[in-house]
Amino acid sequence: MVTCTGCGLLCDDIEVVVENGKIKETRNACRRGAARMRGCMNRLSPSVNQKPSDIKNCIRKAADILRNARSPMLFGWSNSTCEAQLKGIQLARKLNAAIDDTSSFCQGILIEKVLQKKFRTCSLEDIRDKADVLVYWGSDAQDSLPRHLSRFSYFPRGESRQRGYEEDRIAIAIDVRESNTAKICKGHFYRIPLKGDWDFILALMDALSGKVPSYDSKKMLELASIMKKAEFGAIFLGIGLTYSIKEDFDILQKLADMLPNINIMPMVGPYNMRGFNEALFKETSFVNRVKFDGKASHDSSYSIVEALRNKSIDTLLIVGSDPLSSLPRSAISHLANIPIICIDPCVTLTSRIASVTIPCAYSGVENGGSAVRMDGKVVELTKILTTNFPSDEEILTRLTEAL
Amino acid sequence: MPIDVGKFLKSPEYEIKITTYRDIFQVEALERDRFGEEYRKLSACIMMGRNDLKKMGLKAGDRVRVSNNCGSVVVEVKETKREEPGGLAFMVNSPWSNALVSGDTGGKGIPEFKNINAKVSLVKDEVTTLESLIGIFRK
Repeated sequence: MVTCTGCGLLCDDIEVVVENGKIKETRNACRRGAARMRGCMNRLSPSVNQKPSDIKNCIRKAADILRNARSPMLFGWSNSTCEAQLKGIQLARKLNAAIDDTSSFCQGILIEKVLQKKFRTCSLEDIRDKADVLVYWGSDAQDSLPRHLSRFSYFPRGESRQRGYEEDRIAIAIDVRESNTAKICKGHFYRIPLKGDWDFILALMDALSGKVPSYDSKKMLELASIMKKAEFGAIFLGIGLTYSIKEDFDILQKLADMLPNINIMPMVGPYNMRGFNEALFKETSFVNRVKFDGKASHDSSYSIVEALRNKSIDTLLIVGSDPLSSLPRSAISHLANIPIICIDPCVTLTSRIASVTIPCAYSGVENGGSAVRMDGKVVELTKILTTNFPSDEEILTRLTEAL
Repeated sequence: MPIDVGKFLKSPEYEIKITTYRDIFQVEALERDRFGEEYRKLSACIMMGRNDLKKMGLKAGDRVRVSNNCGSVVVEVKETKREEPGGLAFMVNSPWSNALVSGDTGGKGIPEFKNINAKVSLVKDEVTTLESLIGIFRK
């Protein structure tokens, strides 16, 4: 059995068939996980200024660029092992650089609240064994964490839930779209308008306090009743909700306080985003958007989006991420002006415009290490295939030494 | 030969709100080959309900220009399986949808990925290529 690095669930029940040094077949993995384990068609090659080079020279050139940078940022990290993430944080300290990860524009705020113990939370095993009410809010787990329902929440038999979804569990979806997850929550799909989450929370709080909610009162009273009666429930918070209420999470805390039997769990897409958040939190008390300068400062201006918009960075080192693909084009024109160093197993949109590209091994497939599951459990990753590519941890170590 | 007057007329534009979402088949294609045809097919599209398509004179398979003050892309129209609230369309999260997302986050660092205002109009142009989306970034 090996661990899949397809998403934040880190499923540890995967069987692989290896033939001629490649993964020929995966068993138990979902579509997303299987694709990740089989790997990409276009492996990255070492290059300097778009010309072929070797890894040694690329590291030397990357060190030159970083040495001459006045305001570098190190970004990415959600697809790296904990060991590589620690190297990245150490490198940021050494360089007095800003460091940020992909949680900066998705679930970072929520994860920070969980780490600050502002929300009551639990493990995925707790969900599997005890949960009777499961609320998917702004989250299409079926498409983003595809085995969430089958391994941990709705479908499995758990210690106290031997009758599974047929009798023991209720799944609820709150979303602007009838997602694949919402389709499973038959009879318990609450469709809300775009940006309607705030009003929905207020109406639900009214219903929980015994007031007549101003918003779809019949369905809201029904939802409040289910959530009040929960013996052990969970709200799975997806990016749909995060993008809707942005930084106004106090209202969500108030809602959680009204539901003592309900746990809060942020849904985490990339396999080790939580690992980076925890590592940086341990060192600085912040999960992302940090600038080292003797001390660690935290500000939204150190977020990748704002730093690029404000043109406040002059060099960008990217590990395992593709901002040219995942960020708004109107925010990232500065990428055309600054040297980019790209460490990745695959060719990405961003690697195509990078000054230096350094190929690395696929973590969890070609190198081992550890990662943090979406609920905070530390999971060991297995090396399945042998490769000549160095791990991102090794590249960061060599880069730090070269500096 | 009769003159095709239609090609000189600009198709009407319709205001629409777009929200983005994740699709497991598109994520699979992304993992395999983000420059491949499969990824393009599953990404460069916009999903709309039957009533909106009818109102706009569109059908599945048509190409539309989706534009706002952030950018403009040509994508293929797809019809949702269920009827949707009027004026709401869906695009899977991709470089095509990101061409339309505002970079102005009010200083908060989180763009409005799921609340995009845009205009849609029928075109005969080819679907925007990935290369053209990254072209301006080349040094």
